[in-house]
Amino acid sequence: MEFFIESLQDFFPVTEVVTIGDVTVYGLAVGEYWAFITRPDQPLLFDPSVAELLWTDPVTFFFGELGIFSVFGQAGITLAMGVAGTVIGFPLALFFGVLGSERVTPFPFNFLFRGTMSAIRAIPAIIWMLILIPLAGLGAAAATLAIAIDTIGNLGRLFVDELEEIEDGPIEAMEMAGANYPQKITFGMLSQVKSSYIAWTLYITEINVRIAVTLGAFGAGGLGNVVEVQVGLFQFTNVMATLMCIFVLIISVELFSQRLRSRLRSDEEKMGFAELILGFPDRFAESMLK
Amino acid sequence: MSKIVVDSLTKEFGETVALEDLSFEIDDGEFAIVLGVSGSGKSTLLRCMAGLTPPTEGEVRIDGEPVTGPRKEVAMIFQQHNIIGDITAYANALTGSITRHGLLKSVLQLQNPPEKYRALEALETVGLLDAAQQKARRLSGGQQQRVGVARALVQEPEVLLADEPVSSLDPGSSQQVMRYLRTAAQDRDLTAMVSLHQVNLARKFGQRFVGLRDGKKVFDGYRDQLTIDVVDEIYGDIDTEGMFVVETDDGTETSSEQGATH
Ligand SMILES: Nc1ncnc2c1ncn2[C@@H]1O[C@H](COP(=O)(O)OP(=O)(O)OP(=O)(O)O)[C@@H](O)[C@H]1O
Ligand SMILES: [Mg+2]
Repeated sequence: MEFFIESLQDFFPVTEVVTIGDVTVYGLAVGEYWAFITRPDQPLLFDPSVAELLWTDPVTFFFGELGIFSVFGQAGITLAMGVAGTVIGFPLALFFGVLGSERVTPFPFNFLFRGTMSAIRAIPAIIWMLILIPLAGLGAAAATLAIAIDTIGNLGRLFVDELEEIEDGPIEAMEMAGANYPQKITFGMLSQVKSSYIAWTLYITEINVRIAVTLGAFGAGGLGNVVEVQVGLFQFTNVMATLMCIFVLIISVELFSQRLRSRLRSDEEKMGFAELILGFPDRFAESMLK
Repeated sequence: MSKIVVDSLTKEFGETVALEDLSFEIDDGEFAIVLGVSGSGKSTLLRCMAGLTPPTEGEVRIDGEPVTGPRKEVAMIFQQHNIIGDITAYANALTGSITRHGLLKSVLQLQNPPEKYRALEALETVGLLDAAQQKARRLSGGQQQRVGVARALVQEPEVLLADEPVSSLDPGSSQQVMRYLRTAAQDRDLTAMVSLHQVNLARKFGQRFVGLRDGKKVFDGYRDQLTIDVVDEIYGDIDTEGMFVVETDDGTETSSEQGATH
């Protein structure tokens, strides 16, 4: 029992807050977490040295190695792997997803595309990364490609399913108007699934950031890698601090994608990107109050 | 030159016989109206003529050529509107011209100005110019129906098929849209086939009439032959009082006395 409490203290460091007479009040040593999160050589959430570039060297800030992602330190690496993986995977998912639908490709041939996606799904992202190591080396590149491949399988599948649900009406209307085959698919079919495709893509982006954490622990870098290293060093306070950062990252991505979605949905009142971010806290508070 | 020939057309949906051995001819430039109660087969007939539903037996010929699928010279206004909800009313009207443009041009709306002007003109005709930039999904049922009409007009067809094009409209707008369809048909020398529920509208705008009952043709003739007995035959014994409005020579509308069945 004593051992358990002791090791718990590794995760939750304790410090004296105040001493009144004989009574000492202890509290969580938040400062220790903070010190690790903001460590200058490896900031977890925010890198002030990169932020400075915005004024001194904006070109590097926006178009440097990781672009604006590097301002988020280690979290930025994880985020970049998840987002870049989705961006690379999306067009292929769209290609396979649309061609996998029986409405677009006649029966036996659509299974060529569905089958490819099933095969991709059969292999988890982490295995894809291990397979890719000989090609891309162990690092963010292999992880990004693994996430992109994973996206083809999962997002493509969602795209296929969504196309099965659409109505015939607009398709027939486009046929009557004399649309050619690509026009029929674009106007008659894809126009019906556009908003759900955006929604699924954002959802997969969230999942991909989570996968990027996992792949990080296997050597791809980012927050996952920090966890892995600190566990190896038995620095559990640091592990805990990193987990908090992962939590912050995932929640932020989720909230951001949720806001983006409702923004795209309400096409009436078009809102700028600035307002999306600035107007965020009070609308967040609003939705919490409901 | 667009003569429509319906030749012993039969359409069965499993047990249901929607159309039974139907034959008639619509001459080039004629404005024909199909009458019939709900379920009598009007939509099925129009869909067969459009090439959207393959007949079980018989065939439809337009310009002597059997209809096997949709053709760009044939436009259709759908009973369920079938407009694209996620784009604007204007973009929907523009899709009528889709056959004259490639994929990229139609997606990016890079049609030439006359084409865009035509779409706006069609929207103005159906009284929707103010709503042109609204997402079609947000329009009312009647507005959506008029977008469907505009799209068909932009297509510049030779044959216009319209399945209850005024079913969601108020009497005023119904008259307006019907008047426009007839004018467009006259101006562009279209052959038109319109299904309608309202007998008074049909009499007011139609030249030629085809009456359906349970998928069988019960009437085929011109306006002066469409008597109250014929209407009874098509619709069954209903109270037609006030429904039978005839336009007299001096242009005033009077409810014909013979229209009252009691
Ligand atoms: N796709 C289909 N599958 C099965 N039965 C159908 C189908 N389409 C039409 N029917 C049947 O064919 C008959 C004629 O239907 P149709 O839609 O042509 O009638 P309608 O005259 O257009 O009616 P309304 O005025 O209500 O639109 C009906 O009994 C209907 O149930
Ligand atoms: Mg119908």
